[in-house]
Amino acid sequence: MDHPTPLPQFLHDGDFLSVLKVHGYEIAPRLAAAAARFETDGTIATQGTTVLAVKFRDGVLVAGDRRATAGNLVMYERAEKLINIDTHSVLAIAGVPAVAFEIARVLEHSFKYYQRSQLQEMSTAGKVRSLSKLLKENLPLTLQGVGMVVPIFATYEQPNGNDSGGKVYFYDALGAQFEGVDYAASGSGSLAVRSVLHYLNNWGGKPLAKYSEDETIVAALRLLDTAADSDTATSGYNPKSNIFPIVRVITKDGVHEIEESALAKAYRAEV
Amino acid sequence: MIEEPYRWVEAIANRREYIEDQLRRGSPVVLLDYADGLLLLTVSRETRKIFEIYDRVGFAALGHPADIERMRLAAIDLAHIEGFNRAVNDVSLRRLVNYGLSPALKVAFEQVFSAPYIVKMLLAELGDDFDHDLIIKLDYDGSMSRSEIETREPFDVLAGSAEAEKQMLDYLVDNKGHARRSLDDALKLAVQTWAVGMEMAERSSQGEPKEAQAEEIDTVKVLKEHLKVRHVEAAVLDRNRSTSSRFHLLEEKEIRAALKDL
Repeated sequence: MDHPTPLPQFLHDGDFLSVLKVHGYEIAPRLAAAAARFETDGTIATQGTTVLAVKFRDGVLVAGDRRATAGNLVMYERAEKLINIDTHSVLAIAGVPAVAFEIARVLEHSFKYYQRSQLQEMSTAGKVRSLSKLLKENLPLTLQGVGMVVPIFATYEQPNGNDSGGKVYFYDALGAQFEGVDYAASGSGSLAVRSVLHYLNNWGGKPLAKYSEDETIVAALRLLDTAADSDTATSGYNPKSNIFPIVRVITKDGVHEIEESALAKAYRAEV
Repeated sequence: MIEEPYRWVEAIANRREYIEDQLRRGSPVVLLDYADGLLLLTVSRETRKIFEIYDRVGFAALGHPADIERMRLAAIDLAHIEGFNRAVNDVSLRRLVNYGLSPALKVAFEQVFSAPYIVKMLLAELGDDFDHDLIIKLDYDGSMSRSEIETREPFDVLAGSAEAEKQMLDYLVDNKGHARRSLDDALKLAVQTWAVGMEMAERSSQGEPKEAQAEEIDTVKVLKEHLKVRHVEAAVLDRNRSTSSRFHLLEEKEIRAALKDL
């Protein structure tokens, strides 16, 4: 006899993506449909620009400017490019927000789903791999050049692992993942950011890993300012409209957002 | 033979009897409002009985471990799909139970050729304030009682038999279970209520006469006896937690500290 209302878990393999599939949601066709539209009407997709992650003494700092552009148009000056994925992880996105937010949403629920159904936290390696899988789902769009996303994944591994502390992973658009030893940057302004970080880390007096939280915040603000200086798609601090970058730190206590008042103070004193 | 209507009724009645017999010795569960939210507590041997379903939804059950697991996973699936397709705040326990779990249980129960779920559940949803907390008790046949309509109390219990549940509820009423106390005090009351339920379940399954069953229960003594082989398992849905998930499994040392002067 048929089971008229089968419980969903008989139909999937326990991974959140397959749960979604059972319920009629597939990420790849959706993204492809979006891409087809862009191709036919010649619209230029909105792009998020510069994000960076730096490992410092107590964990990882992640920062992103606020500008989103489409070609030479500024679309939005208050874009948020950092997305908290769980209590100890942040996804920093550069590329097309439409795709990136979708990826972030799937990722957030995948981790939650895993943790609740399996009764344990997903390992850092597992999390990094999940993001890589999602980027690969996005491959058709990336190849068409309309929906590229190149994220940074920053997390703090809990001290019970043998390799605890802050971790930074960056990806290429095809989904290959790399661990950033000391830092990572992505987006149109990332070349400037990476160059300065390399300089600071080697000849800046002390390595980034020895920076305090305050020192790292100042460095991040200066870096975004440097990127904005040569890259029109990156916004620096604009005192007239009072828009600040978004800066978060991840330590053993979790993700913590640096308040605008603290950023304002740092800008006045140091940038 | 099942095609004849009265046979079907008979088969259902037999099924009910069989399931209730299976559930009788299960370890009770207590759900109680406390100062910061909701507390779920049981005393278990090995397998976990209290789980997180979603950010604001907790789950506890008694019954066959495989069936508990299936219901738990079904609830998690439904909640996460809802949370993904809409938003975290759109995940509602009412919907989860009315459209997901309850119909599935009813169908399985009434299909007399296949195995029913041997499980009874207590689900709790933490609201923005006490008035919006929701407690749902869901039975193996899909029937339910909800705190907003039927029980009207900020607490509920699960036990293997209706008598044991009644005794536990009476105990909670007698001890002002509706007074939202501190977590430590709520743990004390909950664990004693558990002892009442467990003792009742044992007395009735040993077939003791009614008078002996009604005898005063020394909750502390009962508890000490059980804690030789079991441990207290408790979790809270805490309104004051800063993370998006309000569910928190209490650590053994927290529980032990709260219960040390019992």
